[in-house]
Amino acid sequence: MRKTKRPQADVPRVPPKEAVKLYLIMLPVLIYIFIFSYIPLYGVVIAFQDYTPGSPFLFDPSIKWVGLKHFTQFMSSMYFWRLIKNTLVLSLYNLIFVFWAPIIFALLVNEIRPRRYKKVVQTISYLPHFISSVVVAGMVLSFVNADGIINQLRGMIGLSAVAYNNDPNAFPWIYTLTNMWKGFGFGSILYLSAISAVDNELYEAANLDGATRWQKMWHITLPSIKPTIAIQLIFAVGGLLSANSEMILLLYNPAIYETSDVVGTYLYRESLLGGKFSSGTAIGLFTSAINFILVFAANTVSKKIADFSLW
Amino acid sequence: MEHAKNTAPKNRIRVGSPAVDVIIIIVTLLICAVTLYPMYYVFIMSVSEPHAVIAKDIFLLPKGFQLESYKMLFANKDMWTAYKNTLIYVVSTTVLMLITCSVGAYPLTVDGLPGRKWVVRFLLVPMYFSGGMIPTFLLMNRIGLYDNRLAIILPACVSIWYMILVHTFFRSIPNSLRESAFLDGATHLQVLTKIFIPLSKPIMAVIAIYTIVGVWNSWFNAQIYLPSRELHPLQLYLQRVLIQKSVDLSTLNSTEIEEAMERMFSSVQLQYSIIIFTTLPVIFTYPFFQKYFIKGIMIGSLKG
Repeated sequence: MRKTKRPQADVPRVPPKEAVKLYLIMLPVLIYIFIFSYIPLYGVVIAFQDYTPGSPFLFDPSIKWVGLKHFTQFMSSMYFWRLIKNTLVLSLYNLIFVFWAPIIFALLVNEIRPRRYKKVVQTISYLPHFISSVVVAGMVLSFVNADGIINQLRGMIGLSAVAYNNDPNAFPWIYTLTNMWKGFGFGSILYLSAISAVDNELYEAANLDGATRWQKMWHITLPSIKPTIAIQLIFAVGGLLSANSEMILLLYNPAIYETSDVVGTYLYRESLLGGKFSSGTAIGLFTSAINFILVFAANTVSKKIADFSLW
Repeated sequence: MEHAKNTAPKNRIRVGSPAVDVIIIIVTLLICAVTLYPMYYVFIMSVSEPHAVIAKDIFLLPKGFQLESYKMLFANKDMWTAYKNTLIYVVSTTVLMLITCSVGAYPLTVDGLPGRKWVVRFLLVPMYFSGGMIPTFLLMNRIGLYDNRLAIILPACVSIWYMILVHTFFRSIPNSLRESAFLDGATHLQVLTKIFIPLSKPIMAVIAIYTIVGVWNSWFNAQIYLPSRELHPLQLYLQRVLIQKSVDLSTLNSTEIEEAMERMFSSVQLQYSIIIFTTLPVIFTYPFFQKYFIKGIMIGSLKG
């Protein structure tokens, strides 16, 4: 909608009667968006109030305004730094390992010569994306528990069993590898489509100059997907404070909260299940504000270093 | 251009060494093996003899072959209820999604619509800002959607992003089609349903497939909004079976004592068969609809 570049000046205005009809067509959608997007947006005000469960949502005249109380309470709570640390650690693992997997895989797939085989490899690599998180988590948990396949293999080489599902140190790796397995193939589509847009003459010219395969990949293919990488990287940095909490909720358990409890899961457990709605809204707002600042910062850095920015 | 594309590989072969090709094929084969193995492992566990499953000494081939655990699974009423619920959620969300996308996008394609600029702004704000989990939860409670099937369908049946995709597609339909329909006395609603929607099958297919897979695999909203078990979709049922282990599949039907041992053995295996049985529809269909996903990503990145 932003990109409509139609000349507006010479278009006659739609007569009011017809305009009303057109608005009637989209009225259900407009009402829907007002209710489901704008009311919760306004509902954020309860972050600055003492909302008690059961009192009428939004329009309660007796409600108490408490300013930033819920924000300071969250930041001085005993779990605050643990949550921030866990969220950042998991996001960093994500940025270091999961982020690059689809890029490397795309470069690799691009070098496959037999066309049929290339198609098959791609199709297989998409499979994990279509398997639901619940099933993926269920499989992972059954693999890493004390009598799972990983410990069976350890047993075969004479090592004792370790219940990885209850080992706080193993969690970041389990989470990271799960995300990587689930996303590397599907994530590569974006990069492969960028690669396919490269002008073939570039490769032919490189061939005439006697460039090696590696040189072509490094000097033609990789630069061609640089803008795509930059966009994805900016978004990834912007999401530093929002780990994939849906997956964590499935994979974690109280024994490993020490490394697995992140802001998102804490919000769900303490605020939603615990009924601390005002504090939960404050935590949500806090996270979005920081993520917003991070996207902004990442964009500025990218503008300076790579001469590329989102806006 | 096509010609250049066809000759390019030949040139590349002259330059590259075959050894590199072999290495690339070996590496990608390994990657495929790692990708497929977990699913394959679950499959062989689900068809092996229960005793071998308990011992967990199955790695490459199933030990023995039986489908007992599947038979037990099919007798499980809860799973069928969950299956039915998921179908209800998937079908109604997808149908509503296609309708809302069409009626939301169409009026904005009419040139010279007064107030269009404001409507577009109204639609763009929620794409960047959202109230978050708790205010949404309170709203849903307030309007009586807690423990209601609509709590799954309604929040998922409108997407401003998809509306933009449909809008872009509608824009590519020649305006002359609409004008000649008006000359024949058609109304806007008729133009939308008789001309625009039938011509937009490609984009509708993309949106439908994304919605179907999204709803099929989602569990979190159901976890939040649906305490009643008889409303649970398949994924939430699976979450109870596989993650919380709060459903004892072995006590499904029989109470006979001599069978109790067998049942206990089978309950571990049932977890594997339920994974296979609920994931099969996806595994067998995704190679056919993957092109829609790729298309969706391409359109998305173009709009960027």
